[in-house]
Amino acid sequence: MEINEKLIERVTKLVIEEINAKGGVQVLAQGVKAAGSRMAEKTSYAGFPVARQGTDPKEVVIGVGPAFQRQINKTINGLSLEDVIKNIKAGVEEEGMVPRVVKVLKTSDVCFMGLEAARLSGSGIGIGLQSKGTAVIHQKDLYPLSNLELFPQAPLMTLETYRAIGKNAARYVKGEKVTPIEGQNDPMVRANYQVKAALMHIKETEQVDSDIPYIEWN
Amino acid sequence: MKRSKRIEALDRRPVNKDGYINEWPEMGFVAMSSPYDPKPSIRIHNGVIVELDGKKREEFDFIDEFIADYAIRIERAEQSMAISSLDIARRIVDINVSRKEILEIVSGITPAKMVEVINYLNVVEMMMGMQKIRARRTPANQAHITNLKDDPVQIAADAAEGALRGFREEETTVGIARYAPFNAIALLIGSQAGRKGVLTQCAVEEATELELGIRGFTTYAETMSVYGTEKVFIDGDDTPYSKAFLNAAYSSRGLKTRFTSGSGSEVLMGSAEKKSMLYLETRCLYVTKGAGSQGIQNGSVSCIGVAASVPAGIREVLGENLVAALLGLECASSNDQSFTNSDMRRTARTMLQFLPGTDFIFSGYAGEPNYDNLFAGSNFDAEDFDDYNVLQRDMQVDGGLKPVKEEDVIRVRYTAGKAVQAVFRYLGLSEVTDEQVEAVTYAHGSKDTISRDVATDLAAVEDMMKRGITGVDIVKALAESGFEELAESILSMLKQRVVGDYMQTSAILDEEFKVMSGVNCPNDYMGPGTGYRVDGRRWEEIKAIPHIIDPDNF
Repeated sequence: MEINEKLIERVTKLVIEEINAKGGVQVLAQGVKAAGSRMAEKTSYAGFPVARQGTDPKEVVIGVGPAFQRQINKTINGLSLEDVIKNIKAGVEEEGMVPRVVKVLKTSDVCFMGLEAARLSGSGIGIGLQSKGTAVIHQKDLYPLSNLELFPQAPLMTLETYRAIGKNAARYVKGEKVTPIEGQNDPMVRANYQVKAALMHIKETEQVDSDIPYIEWN
Repeated sequence: MKRSKRIEALDRRPVNKDGYINEWPEMGFVAMSSPYDPKPSIRIHNGVIVELDGKKREEFDFIDEFIADYAIRIERAEQSMAISSLDIARRIVDINVSRKEILEIVSGITPAKMVEVINYLNVVEMMMGMQKIRARRTPANQAHITNLKDDPVQIAADAAEGALRGFREEETTVGIARYAPFNAIALLIGSQAGRKGVLTQCAVEEATELELGIRGFTTYAETMSVYGTEKVFIDGDDTPYSKAFLNAAYSSRGLKTRFTSGSGSEVLMGSAEKKSMLYLETRCLYVTKGAGSQGIQNGSVSCIGVAASVPAGIREVLGENLVAALLGLECASSNDQSFTNSDMRRTARTMLQFLPGTDFIFSGYAGEPNYDNLFAGSNFDAEDFDDYNVLQRDMQVDGGLKPVKEEDVIRVRYTAGKAVQAVFRYLGLSEVTDEQVEAVTYAHGSKDTISRDVATDLAAVEDMMKRGITGVDIVKALAESGFEELAESILSMLKQRVVGDYMQTSAILDEEFKVMSGVNCPNDYMGPGTGYRVDGRRWEEIKAIPHIIDPDNF
């Protein structure tokens, strides 16, 4: 893994130097530097072990987005992705279930990511988590765009909510009568965050790899 | 730097909290025209379009192919493409050229040509165009009816009040997906309790929404989303063909259908292919037409934060509404999503559809306070009702709403709540208490209501769906619980599904359940002295705002 990253860093540096030499770097209004038609270089996960099909009936698989903890390290409202994943896992464990993290590479759509996670999960329950923080609890036999619980407004998420998501996912595994986490709504979320959300999602989508569907991610 | 107090004051203004970005065509952040947009062209061989906007048939993606095969009138194409884009733009504004003539010309032009035409129009010209090209003679309005708790009793009450205020369509959605059937039946019951003939829908995942429709819990559907690039379609597990099929599925069961699209979605999904928002949206509208849908909800819709962030973004939004109308589609013209912190900016954006009138000015005016709006906030909400009514009165414009009396609001909210209580009791669903009905009757939003037991509700929903309950069971429940008139209204709505007249372009129902559409009430505007004018009974309704000074008191 280390060799790969060093290689990527070298390649990235060379590409950026080349672009700078051509004077092609645009500085955008929100301080985002964009090199032409890409926001970040693509990480190759060639050679990484493909995520395995789980068999443990206590398992909750968390499927994170393609840019997770590489190109993007914080959610849209600044929560560190390391803390986010730690809290989801802790929530699952508190209910006596077993979390496993995979990185979904074939899609950056949160519902499809959640469904892939659920299908890989030994219990059939999974969580989809985009790098910007949008999350879903999914079940393997549901329609892709349906879900058990959806958290569409990433700017409103807190570490406590992520922990509660882990707990609720685990409770679905146990077949309990689950009370969904109370919804949150900020009617100004679009005005304040949609452009940032678009940029983060573009960054995530650039890392989609149709050849490698998902890998183990620890 | 020592700061200017003036600039500091300006920096604090709400408008400066909004997100703006410079044009960046490579990522699709460009409204009206991208250097990468194709140039218009068409070539026809043996009755088949073999070249479309610079692309040969063998290079077509599935959107190009669908448009070439189903959305352009081939026998018209060469003649229409020979007219200059500037000339077409001028005819759109010319009061001496009828809607019919323009639609005839436009039926033969390509998407890239359409983009060229729209680029010749400024916003006032676009408004003049919309006033003439809109399908139905009279404008109408649609509401969002939702709440943060997914409380069906509140949905019924807000639906009743919304109907009373004049909305002719009402749409709900869910916070928790599994609540959908309860929300749908609460909306169906509540809307008819407010004013007869209101069409309703429940926007959820497509297969669920279709099932709700088939069961008779809804009367229309507008969430068939289409996209301007192949990649975004594929990411949603869809194609233009699958959408056409879904459209046919709804129609075969007698539901009014409308597609949804809007600029910025491809940018937000990271696959804009360097094209302008207007070009991609125009492709969506051609797909909509080709798929046989009578209409569209468009105007950036939920991606308005993206369109509004770039220069000329709001001009583009009206531009895409006009493209929909030019293609002969019913246009439910968005205004349904908050996009700015500035009251001035949000009002200005809505004037572009409010002043000329569209088939539905809002495709979701929040019939509740925005904190309860589960579409993440609409551009106008329940707290703006009086502002909106005054705007109608100030400008003598029909925005589809009317002032109401407090006692009527309380009465219809109470009836709706009691009706839902009776239906839930009759069908053996979860309990609705008298206290809940009382709270919802006088409530402004879900902060004023008594929370329901969500887990019990969800179990009852599952049970209801397993038992195969349909719209007819609701009619029976109402009729046998003393709500005969309401039962009669819902039965009339179910009958529409068999009659099917409301599937014609731009149809709404009046209070006698009679269809008013672009077919039997076509827009006949051709300049001053023609078309729909606000007068007579409707003008008296609009004038009757509360808080009028009584001269006798002085």
